[in-house]
Amino acid sequence: MRMQLGRQLLDRQIVDRDGRLVGKVDDVEFGVDTDGVPYVAALLSGHEALAQRIGGRAGRLLLAVADRLVDDPPVTPLRVPYRLVERVDSAVRLRVGLDELPGSPTEQWLRRHLIDRIPGSHRASG
Amino acid sequence: MKKLLAATLGVLSAVGGFVDIGDLVAASQAGARFGMAHAWVLLLGVVGICAYAEMAGRIAAVSGRAVFDLVRERLGPRVALLNLVASYLVTVLTLAAELGGVALALQLASGVSYLIWVPVAALAVWLVLWRMRFQLMERVFGLAGLTLVVFAVALFWLPTDWAALGRGALHGGAAGHGWGAYWFVAVALFASTVSPYEVFFFSSGGVEENWSAADLADARTSVLIGFPVGGFLALSLIATATVVYHPSGASLGSLDQVAQPVVLAFGGVGLAVAVLAFFAVTFGAALETGLGAAYAAAQYFGWQWGKRVSPREAARFHSVLLVSVLLGVLVLLTTVDPVTLTEYMLIITAVALPLTYLPILIVANDRTYLGDRVNGPVLNLLGAVFLLLIVAASVAAIPLAVMTTMGR
Repeated sequence: MRMQLGRQLLDRQIVDRDGRLVGKVDDVEFGVDTDGVPYVAALLSGHEALAQRIGGRAGRLLLAVADRLVDDPPVTPLRVPYRLVERVDSAVRLRVGLDELPGSPTEQWLRRHLIDRIPGSHRASG
Repeated sequence: MKKLLAATLGVLSAVGGFVDIGDLVAASQAGARFGMAHAWVLLLGVVGICAYAEMAGRIAAVSGRAVFDLVRERLGPRVALLNLVASYLVTVLTLAAELGGVALALQLASGVSYLIWVPVAALAVWLVLWRMRFQLMERVFGLAGLTLVVFAVALFWLPTDWAALGRGALHGGAAGHGWGAYWFVAVALFASTVSPYEVFFFSSGGVEENWSAADLADARTSVLIGFPVGGFLALSLIATATVVYHPSGASLGSLDQVAQPVVLAFGGVGLAVAVLAFFAVTFGAALETGLGAAYAAAQYFGWQWGKRVSPREAARFHSVLLVSVLLGVLVLLTTVDPVTLTEYMLIITAVALPLTYLPILIVANDRTYLGDRVNGPVLNLLGAVFLLLIVAASVAAIPLAVMTTMGR
């Protein structure tokens, strides 16, 4: 399959089987097959991967803020093996559900320390 | 009937977004000082926002993604981060000004100082964002905001010289205040007409309501009805301020002066309706700006966002929402006058305008997202001309503000 990584894959929204938002393609991980040909092995998603790509002072600042909102920094980005990708259109659509992937540490931290402490956090308002 | 309901998204965006604290202040001040001379700015703003909201709605309907979801893919993570930071700050400042407007409306209604009302208003805004259904929210505040039509009705009770209003709109000028002040007010009014959060909210709302290509006609209808309605309401604010204040050339500095024309026409009842209208439009706009700020952040980072899922499933989105409302309260608790805050907010908005509108034009021409539904040549020409105006307003905003010491 032919694909321009920079134009069609990087920074694109990752969506699970049911339309829930997983994260952005913040970076990609390459593998090399037996013939020595590189291929996209996995999508990386998370502040750490993004901060590295942004680089410089802005990247370090982003990482410093994000690391305060997790339980045990530094965390590694979410790694989605490319075989879980169903298709790529205006978003990267996965063939698995969000609950089959490791959750975002920041999301979990904020859920536990802030949002779940407010009454009514379990009900969608629609 | 279904069409009518679908148009409410546009009507809320128009009334809560088009007419908000920015218009109440900018349109009334323009009318009081320069008469109808800025009517053309509103007309231009309406045409431009219609064109760009149509693009944003089309992008949302066809690709299923909100505009700012796509900005990062086209601008790259660094430029888009800069864009996010600037857009977020402008939107939170706008949120602060809207909360100030809600508090001022409550002060008008109760006589109790607005500073007491600020935390109350913020809590109410946050509760609505936390609990109320998206569609109910947009209908309630959209419809309540239409009470602003009382300003248009008041024109028939006031000693309005319609011919003079028309002449003022066509041949108005600096009216002895100097051209610097004239253009300063023009830029502020333009910024309030095309506030970026209207587009954030409109395109994200489309995704939130699950628009598909089949809803494209409805989206277009709501833009083409909603924004002109908002423009008409803003125009009636200019007109009433012209009739009541322009003869003496007085400046407006407070919300009760904005309500004065309606009080002259209808007395206490008029004041009550005007206060309700002020409350509805500022409260509606506070909801939109709060959501807009959180949408921008969530869509840059790819977090789950929106009101369709429970807050605990969108914990980062709701955290940003909460923090944004708190930041708005903090700004107001510095006891900065909300009307002054609005004036500064409009100038900063003007500076940041290209950050919102340029990416929309780029994405609306991208076949990878829109297929054969990309912009046609006419819309692109309109979009390009409007973009030039936006860049001109953005470049001129700070020099004009400094030269005229905020239009004084």
